[in-house]
Amino acid sequence: MASILRQITKTLRTSSNRNVVACNFARFQSTETSSAQAPVETRPTVRKSDPMQRTQLKDFGKYVADCLPKFIQKVQLTAGNELELLIAPEGVLPVLQFLKDHHNCQFENLADIAGMDVPSRPNRFEVIYNILSLRFNSRIRVKTYTDELTPIESCNNIYKAANWYEREIWDMYGVFFANHPDLRRILTDYGFEGHPFRKDFPLSGYVEVRYDDEKKRVVVEPLELAQEFRKFELAAPWEQFPKFRPALASVEEVKTDKKE
Amino acid sequence: MASETAKRILKEVKPILSLDRFEAKRRVIKLYKAWFRQIPYIIKHFDIEYNEERCQAKLREEFTKYDTIKDIRVIDMLVIKGQMELNEASQKWTTRRGVVKYFDGGGHIDPKPDCFMAKFLSGKD
Amino acid sequence: MSGAVKRATGLTGLAVATNPHKALGTLYGKILRTLQKMPEHAAYRKHTEAIIKERSEILTTTPAVEEVEKKINCGQIEEVIVQAENELVLSRKMLTWKPWEPLVNQPPPSQWRWPPAQAVQQR
Repeated sequence: MASILRQITKTLRTSSNRNVVACNFARFQSTETSSAQAPVETRPTVRKSDPMQRTQLKDFGKYVADCLPKFIQKVQLTAGNELELLIAPEGVLPVLQFLKDHHNCQFENLADIAGMDVPSRPNRFEVIYNILSLRFNSRIRVKTYTDELTPIESCNNIYKAANWYEREIWDMYGVFFANHPDLRRILTDYGFEGHPFRKDFPLSGYVEVRYDDEKKRVVVEPLELAQEFRKFELAAPWEQFPKFRPALASVEEVKTDKKE
Repeated sequence: MASETAKRILKEVKPILSLDRFEAKRRVIKLYKAWFRQIPYIIKHFDIEYNEERCQAKLREEFTKYDTIKDIRVIDMLVIKGQMELNEASQKWTTRRGVVKYFDGGGHIDPKPDCFMAKFLSGKD
Repeated sequence: MSGAVKRATGLTGLAVATNPHKALGTLYGKILRTLQKMPEHAAYRKHTEAIIKERSEILTTTPAVEEVEKKINCGQIEEVIVQAENELVLSRKMLTWKPWEPLVNQPPPSQWRWPPAQAVQQR
């Protein structure tokens, strides 16, 4: 297993162009069925799916899950051949440090830290790290979860770019980052109360602000809209593409050997 | 009743800053003292029309508003937010509005005009 | 033995290494010693040892720096040194984190379900 994975990562290293990798790949054993046996897709599509890239990503996902079984809960491949690692919040620093420093990973570049709010879950916020490897030309996404009161370790010591992104998530969602050097508001106004990106914060906010000529200063008033908020339900009550139901499933889970 | 008071769900959670309620209490008192000492400078810089006594009373009111909260993490979160507000006020980043908002009667939240003349004069329907 | 000495790496802030064989050799030795402290079954230890041993072999058998760069095929020798330094820092931190243990906690049941459950149950 180990030698196969290393050889596969060697193909990642030796050629940056995926097409070149495709012709070399036949020499190495694969954990999936070989490309000769897989049925060739003949239906016309806008974006051609690349089974080579998918298998490489899956193998890399298994490799990372193999190295870090303590923190990685799930590995999945989402639409567009994007690898995602779903981890426990205790493992943010180890996983990110591993992805940055290990020889086979070298994800030196933090592209984005995003937040997500799903109020129906007990841990309502998701924090999503998008990182990029320039050496191997690949991206990976690391997702964790937290609720309103649980802090997440700041990865500022690992990626300096995380500074402002974490400030933004604090400002917009209220997720506290422990050991952040300078956690304060970044996008909202100074007297602003509330965390705007939360799903229970209304689109128009709670207050409106205007300059009052009598008092010669800016005053804050409760919101008054001329027209009430209109929400259009654009979804039709019938399923749109019933024949393509399995094909439209965008997430594919990568099976890792989990030791119970 | 014993059943009412004992209805607290206990689970292990990750602390934010304080490990026990004594540490949380110390943080709250430190924050209160810091705000208290900053009041004269805030009044001077933002040209607030209230005197020091009124501001101190308002500060006490703001802190006693959260008297009933027992959850340490909620207290920590409130202390963190209070500390950030204090930073903004003392470093002079915030504007007058950000400080005066604590005073209800500061005139910055105006009551909605209800009679016809008030609506007409204010220009709102 | 080989031709001209390299003038610059072409990368800002990365100076040309004066004695790359020695530097890399010591780094790889330190990494291997750190990895020895981890348990045998740890996948991180197995994979990393394999990589480091392969690179050390290339290093010891090839005296010319350019040949080493070509064989390792991971950028210039200075970059390889930086990678080794990173791996050393990582392996030392891994000793404290112990990632080879089983999963520290399972996610709550509906945590990773997408799309999230609808509020209204359909009959």
